[in-house]
Amino acid sequence: MTRQNDEPDAHVVLAYRDVHKQFGDFVALAGVSMEVRKTEVVCLIGPSGSGKSTLLRCTNGLESIDGGEITLDGQVLPRHGRGMRAVRQRMGMVFQNFELFPHMTALANVASGPLTVLRLPRGEAEARASALLAKVGLADKAASYPSNLSGGQQQRVAIARALAMQPEVMLFDEPTSALDPETIGEVLNVMKALAEEGMTMLVVTHEMSFARRVADHVVVFERGTIIEQGPPAQIFDAPLVPRTRDFLSHLGWEG
Amino acid sequence: MSLDFSPILQSWQFLLGGLGLTLGLAALTVLCSLVLGGAIGLARCYGPAWLRLPLVFYIDSMRSVPVLVVLVWTYFALPIVTGAVLPPFWAGLIALTAQIAAYMAEIVRAGVESVRPGQTRAALALGMSRAQAVRQVVLPQAVVRMLPAFGSILSIAIKDTAIASVIAVPEYLNRSQTLAGESFRPIEVYLTAMAVYFITLFPVTRTVDIAYARLAHLGRS
Ligand SMILES: Nc1ncnc2c1ncn2[C@@H]1O[C@H](COP(=O)(O)OP(=O)(O)O)[C@@H](O)[C@H]1O
Ligand SMILES: [Mg+2]
Repeated sequence: MTRQNDEPDAHVVLAYRDVHKQFGDFVALAGVSMEVRKTEVVCLIGPSGSGKSTLLRCTNGLESIDGGEITLDGQVLPRHGRGMRAVRQRMGMVFQNFELFPHMTALANVASGPLTVLRLPRGEAEARASALLAKVGLADKAASYPSNLSGGQQQRVAIARALAMQPEVMLFDEPTSALDPETIGEVLNVMKALAEEGMTMLVVTHEMSFARRVADHVVVFERGTIIEQGPPAQIFDAPLVPRTRDFLSHLGWEG
Repeated sequence: MSLDFSPILQSWQFLLGGLGLTLGLAALTVLCSLVLGGAIGLARCYGPAWLRLPLVFYIDSMRSVPVLVVLVWTYFALPIVTGAVLPPFWAGLIALTAQIAAYMAEIVRAGVESVRPGQTRAALALGMSRAQAVRQVVLPQAVVRMLPAFGSILSIAIKDTAIASVIAVPEYLNRSQTLAGESFRPIEVYLTAMAVYFITLFPVTRTVDIAYARLAHLGRS
């Protein structure tokens, strides 16, 4: 499948070539090929269990792949553990369940990467963390523990924590799926602002209106393979593959 | 009959010395068990596979044998086998530590395993090493979650020191026995012993419970 918005000079940040992943006999990714370009927002959609989270975890090495290759800025990622640590620092990851560290304040959560991984002096790490909390609209919550924050606030802190490592690309795994409906908007707004600043983003989501409005490119997963990919206008208004339409109508998407 | 507590009042220094020894033995036991049990618990979670079997064997056997049997072995049988005679206090410390460290190891392991894997994943995703993830993210939460069980271990350690009286460690119960024999006032002496153990232990368990109530949210991910 080819991209319709191909720009020959667009810089490819992440490229997946025929990526395979198995858990025992179960094939979670059966030959996935796609690209994420600089400043682009790519949304991954598809039924649950189709391998979207697995693809994100393989991207930053939380899972190893069994075949094919993934490149970051043209360099093939190491398949196993060791070399992955340096690579992970260049990717930010945001999880469905936030995964904030409960024993740290919001500020300490955001500063934890710069302090522990980059070994920045405390003052510098905390200044960076404060600025990022302000950016996600939570300057007043710096001293709060996660247990005193709403889901939407926790997820915004988690986004700030990932940004603190100044990543080249952000990976989002269903960032709003665990949220109460009234707090979904505040998280999506932060993500939208990030996209407008030019952050490269790979987003697994069930928020179709977000994908429709913000994505540059939408990839539809089913059972470990990509059944269709293209610009949102194609996927949402005129899908080429009937199963894409089935999936979208199943979600109540009217087009 | 009428109760007469005067022998206890006359010998309060003798008993207080025993209480000091009880608390000292308990404190050392808890400290050693914390180090040994913590290491064993962590080794079971993160150590090499070949180490697990011997560790599980150690933990299971300590949990299946009464502490008195372990004590008798370290004090009476070990010298026969090795030729080295241990002073009673050290034999008591070793036996109590051997037993309580096994329980501590299980508490540590359960605490570590109860922290959901997503927390480790989040730490690794930031670029932390596995060791950093354990130290900075998993252990602090696990320690908070372990507090209630740790409180129980603390009181069990203090109570179990009484067993060392059988090898004549002059701790509180041993001194009570001596005093009961000399004064012919066993009822009063053992009533006092009950009260002393209670007054010592009650604040310990309450303090741990209060600390946990305050800190629980720090371990809730
Ligand atoms: N660690 C694992 N071990 C075994 N099976 C797994 C593991 N992780 C994911 N899977 C399986 O792989 C499939 C894809 O999972 P996932 O990538 O989480 O799907 P999605 O994110 O699209 O819902 C699922 O069927 C899931 O059960
Ligand atoms: Mg998923």
